[in-house]
Amino acid sequence: MTELPKSNDLNATWNFVEPGLKRIIGGSEDNVGVTPQMYMNVYSAIYNYCVNKSRSPNNLSSNNASQSSLLVGAEIYERLKKYLSVYVKQLQRTPPESFLEFYVKRWTRYTVGAGYLNHVFDYMNRYWVQKERNDGRRDIFDVNTLALLTWRDYMFLPHAEYLVKEILAQIELQRDNQVIDTKFLSTAIKSFVLLGIDVQDLKKPNLHIYIDNFEKPFLESTRQFYAAESAEYLSSHNVVDYLRKAEQRINEEESRETLYLDEHSKKPLTDTLNDVLIVAHSQVMYDEFANLLEQNQIDHIAKMFALFNRVPSTLDPLAEIFQTYIDLKGITAIDNLKNDIQNEASKAEATGGKKPKQQVDPKLYVKALIQVYKKFQQIVSTAFQNHPIFVKALDSACRQYINNNSIAKPPGFRGTSKTSDLLAKYSDNLLKKNKDADATSDMSVDDIMVIFKFLNDKDAFETHYRRLLAKRLIHGTSSSTEAEETVIQRLQSENSMEYTSKITRMFQDVRSSHTLRATFKDEASKRADSKSIVADFEPFVLTETMWPFSFSKNNKFQLPADLVPTYSAFQDLYGQQHSGRILKWLWNLSRGDIKANLQKPGRAPFTLSCTLYQMAILLPYNDSDTYTLSELCKLTGLDAPVISNAIVPMVKYRLLQPSPGGMDALSQLDTKFTVVTEFKSKKLKVNLVQGVRSLESKQEVEDAEREINEDRRYYLKACIVRIMKARKHLSHAALLNEVVQQSHQRFSAKVADIKKCIDELVDTEYLQRNEDQSYDYLA
Amino acid sequence: MSISIISSDGEPFKVERKVAERSVLIKNMLGDLGNDDDDDDESFEVPIPNVRGSVLQKILEWCEHHKDTAFPDDEDDDSRKSAPVEEWDREFLRVDQEMLYEIILGANYLNIRPLLDAGCKVVAEMIRGKTPEEIRRTFNIVNDFSPEEEAAIKRENEWAEDR
Repeated sequence: MTELPKSNDLNATWNFVEPGLKRIIGGSEDNVGVTPQMYMNVYSAIYNYCVNKSRSPNNLSSNNASQSSLLVGAEIYERLKKYLSVYVKQLQRTPPESFLEFYVKRWTRYTVGAGYLNHVFDYMNRYWVQKERNDGRRDIFDVNTLALLTWRDYMFLPHAEYLVKEILAQIELQRDNQVIDTKFLSTAIKSFVLLGIDVQDLKKPNLHIYIDNFEKPFLESTRQFYAAESAEYLSSHNVVDYLRKAEQRINEEESRETLYLDEHSKKPLTDTLNDVLIVAHSQVMYDEFANLLEQNQIDHIAKMFALFNRVPSTLDPLAEIFQTYIDLKGITAIDNLKNDIQNEASKAEATGGKKPKQQVDPKLYVKALIQVYKKFQQIVSTAFQNHPIFVKALDSACRQYINNNSIAKPPGFRGTSKTSDLLAKYSDNLLKKNKDADATSDMSVDDIMVIFKFLNDKDAFETHYRRLLAKRLIHGTSSSTEAEETVIQRLQSENSMEYTSKITRMFQDVRSSHTLRATFKDEASKRADSKSIVADFEPFVLTETMWPFSFSKNNKFQLPADLVPTYSAFQDLYGQQHSGRILKWLWNLSRGDIKANLQKPGRAPFTLSCTLYQMAILLPYNDSDTYTLSELCKLTGLDAPVISNAIVPMVKYRLLQPSPGGMDALSQLDTKFTVVTEFKSKKLKVNLVQGVRSLESKQEVEDAEREINEDRRYYLKACIVRIMKARKHLSHAALLNEVVQQSHQRFSAKVADIKKCIDELVDTEYLQRNEDQSYDYLA
Repeated sequence: MSISIISSDGEPFKVERKVAERSVLIKNMLGDLGNDDDDDDESFEVPIPNVRGSVLQKILEWCEHHKDTAFPDDEDDDSRKSAPVEEWDREFLRVDQEMLYEIILGANYLNIRPLLDAGCKVVAEMIRGKTPEEIRRTFNIVNDFSPEEEAAIKRENEWAEDR
């Protein structure tokens, strides 16, 4: 065993440990490993020096001011510090190795040695260094930190700029697809992290060396590289290629990040790339976006979205373009449809000479709207992954073109959008009994719901829908109750219970009318005059305010004598059931079948389906073969135009013969109508209802429009009163705001209408207007 | 795996590596010298130039007993200082003063913190509640103060007197 040096002799101790240190730190050329013997000897020599020197009488007597000075280590610490700096300073690059290579190799060896040193100087670390740091010395460090600081001051800082330049050159080579040894880069970059030492608190991680010396120049060179590359690339390639290129570059940089950069650089690198690759070229890509949409390039759009999605603020302009594009497509689709209709019409005019009827087929219209929606909905889900911004853009665009296009609001038209009306008609076609199954096979409730969602004037739709439903109900033309109810339920869940409350009442009325019918049949059979009563009478008792039918007091219609017993019987029955209720008869809506014995002898008689008015016109022919129009007026109590309209189908089917002939004569009061003696028809059942020239259809449109406007006024007023009752006092602007918000679900209220309603409420003293543009609620 | 530990007087002790690593010094050295793979290198000898055989044997006995004990973190000064001496350790340290002193020195040298702590606490208990004269007797210390010096010290420390 080697003799250890005398413990109180600094020089002897140092000379003893130095060969070991040299071997540990990597300074010796023979490259022999450290033996346990050597390791223990060095440790023991340091230990002995520190321990025994502390006890030497020399030290004890030198001062007795502070006990702490008894711990020894300063001299050996200084020796070590000097030794390390001399060692690091003499390290030399051996060509042809690059500086980076030299740095990494030496660093690797040096840090291993520093770890050893820290252990063999453990005794000094444990007591002397600890004590000094506790006493506030911030220039004394454990041996490992001392070694790193020495490296930082004598190796890293003098060469940092050159070293980082080499590293950046390597990274650029890699960006140019050259193979480089990333292990060197990774080790060198990690050394920057380790060298960031906070001398105040050694345990606190500190990245200032990494950030100042490496990260900043790295980001700058990254920016320059990609700014140049992307500009150059775009000058010789199209945008689609660029999308691919940018995506690929970003992926590459991200893998670089995980390969050899510190976690800290992740965000700034991402920001830099986003900035230079995406934001800088956003305009070019926006410009290309509409083209991609035009060509339906879903994959490319998805790529573009993926890029922009990295920088959320860049999505807004994209969504804006998207929205405008959809709106335009929607409007164009409807323009095309309108042109088609006009072309058809003028073709018909050219060939047939009939006056063009530019009717819009509700199905074509609704389908055209939906087709646009579906197409872009598909793009939203596949290319934009249902990103909320794009869902919203689609919704806004649909709301725009669905409510506002050349058919919904033709130039100069100021009423509510016709989309509501057409959608109601579409629903009617779907729900009506239909001989032609093919015509409705591609129609669906889903279609209705898609458009309904976007309707601004949901109240108008409800009104139109209810009018058509009313006819289906009382004329029994619904294809199925189940289908009707499905639609109602879905409207309810999309909007509100209240929205369909009237419709629900209508269904109730129809149901109770069915019960009433059975009761009537029963009761009628018990009456004395039962023989003259129509037992199959189908009464509908409708709550007046729930149904879109108007009762006219001016109707002088004379019920034919044959029907009077039935009428009286029902009046009696209903009067018994509900005393005090008044029945108003809607003659104009009633219908019935009559049997006509005009057949060839031996054949079955014909059945004529007709309106009650037609029935009243035909029944007198039991008594005489010919009547003039004015005679018919007197007999039925109906006005001449009503009669001539009702007579049109009878003339067409050659049941009545007018004299003189010709369509114009039909409305002359002295025209004679004679019934034929033998009626000819392929079918036994003849429907006279369908051919009635309707005075009503135009009237109905006006009625509907009036009803909508009236309902809106009531609704707005109720809304205003409700709000004011709760708030008592509100400014004009705030009130307008709240009303618009509350009515939004039903329709988009016009400010002018709201103002009018407020005026009316002020006049009727519900509200009081104050000087300062505000209102008070008057109880 | 086991290694050989050799005392200052040349006595070898073959111990399980885990036992030896109770000494942070040995643990660090084994780690540094890269002998942490599983090869059962019987020839791996660790010389301990500062501890004689009889003391080393005693220390290794302690290490053997505590090879699986989980001691509180070195950094956690408070709980280290306040913890009482374990019964086994107290029994283990019931040795003559010379041996106790050498165990403490050895633990300090080998960096075996829990043993060092236990040793110091036992010594502290020997001092606690004793007069200076009793302490001098216990540790065989010759009073080398002059009467004036002693009076001065007493005056300085009057505040600490337990009365």
